[in-house]
Amino acid sequence: MRPTFKCGDPLALVSYLYDECAPQERHAISAHVAVCEACADEIASLSSTRERLGEWHPPHAQLGFRVVPAESTVLKPVQWWRRPMPVWAQTAAAVVVFATGLSLGARLEQAAPSQGVPRAAVTTPAVTAGDLSALERRLRAEISQLHDVAAGQPAAATDAHLLDRVRTLIQDSEQRQQRELALRTAEVVRDFDAQRRVDLTRIERTLGQMDGTTGVEVEQQRQMLNYLMRVSQRGQ
Amino acid sequence: MTLTDDELVARSVGGDAESFNQLILRWERPIYALAYRVIGREEDARDVCQETFLRAFRALPGFKGQAKFSSWLYRIALNLCRDWIRRQRRAPVTQMPEDVDLGEFAAERGPVESIEELVSRRELSAIVEEVMARLPEEQRTAIILKEYHGMTFQEIADMQGCPLSTVKTRLYQGLLVVRRQLEKHGQLTPQLVKRA
Repeated sequence: MRPTFKCGDPLALVSYLYDECAPQERHAISAHVAVCEACADEIASLSSTRERLGEWHPPHAQLGFRVVPAESTVLKPVQWWRRPMPVWAQTAAAVVVFATGLSLGARLEQAAPSQGVPRAAVTTPAVTAGDLSALERRLRAEISQLHDVAAGQPAAATDAHLLDRVRTLIQDSEQRQQRELALRTAEVVRDFDAQRRVDLTRIERTLGQMDGTTGVEVEQQRQMLNYLMRVSQRGQ
Repeated sequence: MTLTDDELVARSVGGDAESFNQLILRWERPIYALAYRVIGREEDARDVCQETFLRAFRALPGFKGQAKFSSWLYRIALNLCRDWIRRQRRAPVTQMPEDVDLGEFAAERGPVESIEELVSRRELSAIVEEVMARLPEEQRTAIILKEYHGMTFQEIADMQGCPLSTVKTRLYQGLLVVRRQLEKHGQLTPQLVKRA
């Protein structure tokens, strides 16, 4: 069956405009457009509209996205001496250390009686209740003696001594802070001077680049300014 | 040898990040252009573009090749654009630079193109951008996908989740609005022949 086209059918016109219709339908629309001025004009103006749409360009953008694998997944080769030892080697090392210790212990055991070192096996006399009470009495006497000595000293002498010590500590602290301040100030001055030199170099370079601007660019700028002036005069 | 998208996708799924970077290189410009034309802001379009590839990379193991890789990317980008528009709760704003960089302006000029022609071209581009920004989102997206990305009616229908006839209607109505606005700006001769 031959497809028919209803004059002005927007859906069919769009299909025809974008060349997305069946060949028979396209043929039918073409035949109609050839004789219908309104449809021909519609198609022509929509085509012109599409041409104007083609003039829309997005601004250039810096893109360059990249997917970077996580750093943890990249393994660096490990030096042989940093690699973990295998189990058999660890076991062997442990056996060697243990055997060495055992043999050294046996040698010391043999050498000990000849040097006359008192042995742990020598029996010590047992502590009696009387010994403990004598020790307690002696400690009490010493503590009370210490209390008497402390009470007998003049309080003023102790305070003066304490004040002297505090004063000395404060002086030390102030001197240390002054030294640190001087050091920091010197660092700031040095950094400032270095930054100033860098800035001066950059300014000199920029000025050099500006000096190197070619005559062609100046000419282009001049043409552009002339054009802008012409346009502004036209607007007035 | 240039690998196809499907081959690069397969390699990327296998853990080859460099293959995915090749896909990015291949598709970042079209995706950026789509995002820019839909939302109308350069910086946000870049963000949408970057986010599109990030999401694609994360979802890559779930991509079974039921659609073309590019269609899948476009769908992600369009969803992100819709989210962006929803967040903004207003029509996209046309980005019009207040001051023109004369150096950049001159560099853009073709070898045989006069300054008048360059200005006229830029003016037309700005007008089209402004006119497109006034269209409803569905019409604008349909026109963008058709005109600048060469999609078929069926692909647009799949992308927008609507019938084929709706896509054609959106295109037709959108084109009529654009035509009227261009006529108003003096970029098109008004249609003289009216239908009876």
